[in-house]
Amino acid sequence: MSHATTEKRTSYLGIFIILIVLTLIETLVSYVQNEAIKFPVLIGLSVIKAVLVLLYFMHLKFDSRIYTYLFVAGCVLAIPLILVMTIVMPRLAGH
Amino acid sequence: MSDTTATAPVPQEESTKLGMWVFLGGEVVFFVALITIFLLARLVNPDYNAQFRSHLSIPVIALNTFILVTSSYFMVRALEAIVHGDQKGMRNNLLGVIILGLLFLGGQAFEWTSLFAEGVSYTTVFGMPFFTLTGIHGTHVFIGVLWAIYILVGHRRIPYTQENHHGIENFGLYWHFVDIVWIVLFTLIYLI
Repeated sequence: MSHATTEKRTSYLGIFIILIVLTLIETLVSYVQNEAIKFPVLIGLSVIKAVLVLLYFMHLKFDSRIYTYLFVAGCVLAIPLILVMTIVMPRLAGH
Repeated sequence: MSDTTATAPVPQEESTKLGMWVFLGGEVVFFVALITIFLLARLVNPDYNAQFRSHLSIPVIALNTFILVTSSYFMVRALEAIVHGDQKGMRNNLLGVIILGLLFLGGQAFEWTSLFAEGVSYTTVFGMPFFTLTGIHGTHVFIGVLWAIYILVGHRRIPYTQENHHGIENFGLYWHFVDIVWIVLFTLIYLI
């Protein structure tokens, strides 16, 4: 087995362990009663986990930038959708 | 004089991977719409914790999350195995993905059955967005399991090799995306 292969496997294992530990921390934090602490911590941990999967397991860190742009384009396109659903539609419905 | 770089064909494996990323970009918009509906239901009705969240079992769902995250690790190992020409390693890891995917679906079936037994139905204000969102995600997992089985069965006829492994790479992208969606749902539905 080449040095590069061993290094990559270690890196995947490392990311997997980080994901498991973060999930464990999330679960424990969910029992905290203080909403002001709980909310940002849980959102932050969730974003970190998603980005780790995107960068390492889906190889965005190593692949062509075009794939990153395509994924980000989906996220950007979702913003007007959220605005329409949360601002425009309730107003049209008379709320 | 013609420009050779402009007319050079894009390799098929690159175009299918590009197509998969375009598809995943569309899936982001789709899931954001569903998540927004769920969050709006929470916003409109402040009794979310009392009416609905108290019925959800965090330990069961945390276990399900561990299962899906672990399946993602098996997936990345399956791809790495075939990239290095290790067909047996690819098969074993893909089998792991299938088993863990089925376990996840079993966990979800258990959760839904428990909710139905407690009187939480599809017609309630939280039930509708919850069952729609988790149901569509579960359908994605189910399709992923079928896809993985198709790869394993098809592999007997036309084996994937070190040079021809892009079908597995594209499936891996799909499976990891389904994992990311669950990471977000786990936080927004169950933990917050």
